[in-house]
Amino acid sequence: MAFTLRSVKVPPNSASLEEARHRVFDFFRAACRSLPTVMEIYNLHDVATVSQLRSTVASEIRKNSHVTNPKVIDMLLFKAMEELGNIAEHAKQRHHIIGQYVVGRQGLVQDVGTKDQGISNFLKNFYNTNY
Amino acid sequence: MGLGMLASRVMRPTASKLPRNLLSHFHIRPIVSTPESSAAQAQPEPEPTPPPRAPVAGARVHFKNPDDAIEVFVDGYPVKIPKGMTVLQACEVAGVDIPRFCYHSRLSIAGNCRMCLVEVEKSPKPVASCAMPALPGMKIKTDTPVAKKAREGVMEFLLMNHPLDCPICDQGGECDLQDQSMAFGSDRGRFTEMKRSVVDKNLGPLVKTVMTRCIQCTRCVRFATEVAGVQDLGMLGRGSGEEIGTYVEKLMTSELSGNVIDICPVGALTSKPFAFKARNWELKGTETIDVTDAVGSNIRIDSRGPEVLRILPRLNEDINEEWISDKTRFFYDGLKRQRLNDPMIRGADGRFKAVSWRDALAVVAEVAHQTKPEEIVGIAGQLSDAESMMALKDFLNKMGSNNVWCEGNGVNTDADLRSGYLMNSGIAGLEKADVFLLVGTQPRVEAAMVNARIQKTVRATQAKVGYIGPAADFNYDHQHLGIGPQTLIEIAEGRHPFCSALLNAKNPAIIVGAGLFERKDKDAIFSAVETISKYAKVVRPDWNGFNVLLLNAAQAAALDLGLVPESGKSIESAKFVYLMGADDVNMEKVPVDAFVVYQGHHGDRGVYRANVILPAAAFSEKEGTYENTEGCVQQTLPAVPTVGDARDDWKIIRALSEVAGVRLPYDSLGAIRSRIKTVAPNLVHMDEREPATFSASLKPDFSHKMSLTAFGSTIENFYMTDSITRASKIMAQCSALLLKK
Repeated sequence: MAFTLRSVKVPPNSASLEEARHRVFDFFRAACRSLPTVMEIYNLHDVATVSQLRSTVASEIRKNSHVTNPKVIDMLLFKAMEELGNIAEHAKQRHHIIGQYVVGRQGLVQDVGTKDQGISNFLKNFYNTNY
Repeated sequence: MGLGMLASRVMRPTASKLPRNLLSHFHIRPIVSTPESSAAQAQPEPEPTPPPRAPVAGARVHFKNPDDAIEVFVDGYPVKIPKGMTVLQACEVAGVDIPRFCYHSRLSIAGNCRMCLVEVEKSPKPVASCAMPALPGMKIKTDTPVAKKAREGVMEFLLMNHPLDCPICDQGGECDLQDQSMAFGSDRGRFTEMKRSVVDKNLGPLVKTVMTRCIQCTRCVRFATEVAGVQDLGMLGRGSGEEIGTYVEKLMTSELSGNVIDICPVGALTSKPFAFKARNWELKGTETIDVTDAVGSNIRIDSRGPEVLRILPRLNEDINEEWISDKTRFFYDGLKRQRLNDPMIRGADGRFKAVSWRDALAVVAEVAHQTKPEEIVGIAGQLSDAESMMALKDFLNKMGSNNVWCEGNGVNTDADLRSGYLMNSGIAGLEKADVFLLVGTQPRVEAAMVNARIQKTVRATQAKVGYIGPAADFNYDHQHLGIGPQTLIEIAEGRHPFCSALLNAKNPAIIVGAGLFERKDKDAIFSAVETISKYAKVVRPDWNGFNVLLLNAAQAAALDLGLVPESGKSIESAKFVYLMGADDVNMEKVPVDAFVVYQGHHGDRGVYRANVILPAAAFSEKEGTYENTEGCVQQTLPAVPTVGDARDDWKIIRALSEVAGVRLPYDSLGAIRSRIKTVAPNLVHMDEREPATFSASLKPDFSHKMSLTAFGSTIENFYMTDSITRASKIMAQCSALLLKK
């Protein structure tokens, strides 16, 4: 993936949290703009919609909402740009996108519904693993 | 080391200004010190005499009589030892480890390897320290040129005919010859001729022989004769034609034969199932205990990744000394076969379908709730740990049923007095006995390590052994008194010739087999045994010779926890049967319309009848408490991860209780152990033997008619007694080849 690395320039550090926040929004916009292309090149029309992918991107960003250090935000942004670049340049394959952004981290079995309401932590952990 | 090294680094720049000797001092002992104390250290100290070394492997000296102490000098240090110790033992007490091949502390002395040569002052030649008794004032030198030269010479002779095949030898890495030739051998040999070769012997499916590697230390011969009690192995030929063998083509049929693998100092006898599987330095050792019988032998499970590769004994003087039975050593391949790895429900077509834990537990809870409380039955298997049995009992009690027991314990076993179901003398205590009366028990197949103790006692003190039961195989002298209760009644009434032996004995021991628990007239048999023990003075304040030899690892803990069924007939009327690893229950008694849940780790007999399977962890994968037949509580530790989607036994019951709406109040092992503490406090004192407090004399008198049917033999096949051993291929080979037909 040398061609992506050549094109990626490390921007100067954000001076303040405010600036970093702006950059995150810029990144989110860039990601949203590239989504139609992504749908096209990975042929995702039958498994996802643009709005689903958009909320996946938003939730990936919100996962790091607790980070307040501008340097760390810059680092995360850099990784996100790299990932976006890889996706947009078709450096991935269809199942990568489906596995990571359509199906999600929980895997195919997603029966977390009303069933798990009101059970103890022990039982939740028991269903997951022996340890 | 962290702090000290840091301190020495901090000091280094200034160290160049310090005097020379101080500099070296700092390098040897980097300690953080205040300026005052370092100034004190700067004073040149007189060279102190190094303190005497600690004894090898914590060897302890026990003086029976203070007058027997003699003093010898080992490398200039005086040591006090009791009379009769050998020079080698004196050196061990002094902290000097003498190299040896033939000497083994639990076997007789052969003195034929000559590796333990040391110099003794005023003796013209170096002496073999293992065979030489230490005499008062003896000056032993272990580090002189003469001793070193002698060892080098012996090594050269031993290596003369030993093949240089360490890279393909299974002993490599844990080989005494390899280690000692590195430490004491010469860097070259003068031998140029051909090495001798010896034909390999076939000793059966367990012990692999490469007889060319043998150095004729005769440890295996002595082990077979003295500990295993079989005269299978011997020495053939003379001089360079000497070899170990069975003389005629014959397999080694002892139940302890695997131990020759451990005592062989070279790679001549190695484990056949473990051959070429792994190197010992790749393995992770987990110190745990064995569950295949009620002895609870201490073992080490050697594993690599998720696989158990071998099982070795661990030293425990009170239980298994340093031996284990072949079943314990070689059943581990059963842990890989026939495993249950997913919860399963039997469909309408009679086939099992894998489901999620959620669905399986929901189905079980649903059915349990539709059943009347008195029709719910729970049976713990012979490999269950105390924690899961506690959880099972609590769960069933919360469901309103008290029909819970452990298989092998019979229906109305008396769990009130611990002395009524434990080995009260203790396994090590059996060595004090001088007359044994075995009632309906064949210790050789029921508990090989207990049998080894009896054999040791018989060999050492010529103790008499009387046996009542079907014809059985013994490896020591015994009198077969009879086959059934008739003989027992004769002894109880004092009409039998063996009574005089019992009466004249100082420490008589009666061992009753737990197989009798299953008999209907067990109370009558036990009261007869108590009559005998009363008139033969078997139970005294200083000696308790009334013993019950249990069969399974779970039995003692189950009785301690009070897993006793409410009614004897409960299984015939059951509608919901919860089998927690119970495979030896007579499934024909269970009604056809009963719902059977099998929780366990192996697809064994219980599974054939089960409606739902809940996969559980085997003993090698969980932490669990087990009590052995003498009341010693020990625990297993997880050596390998669980298989598939299996869960620990107690966790399954805890989860099921929550799904069923009767949630048990413990979430962790610690919590369940504190629950156990309120029921049976002895079960939380790990590695401690808790003897029974009250003896059986408190029991009310009981007169019942004894049926005269002869005692049966409890274990048909020594090698296959539980679900793991039945799944093991090695055990199947053993039972095909080694069982006497």
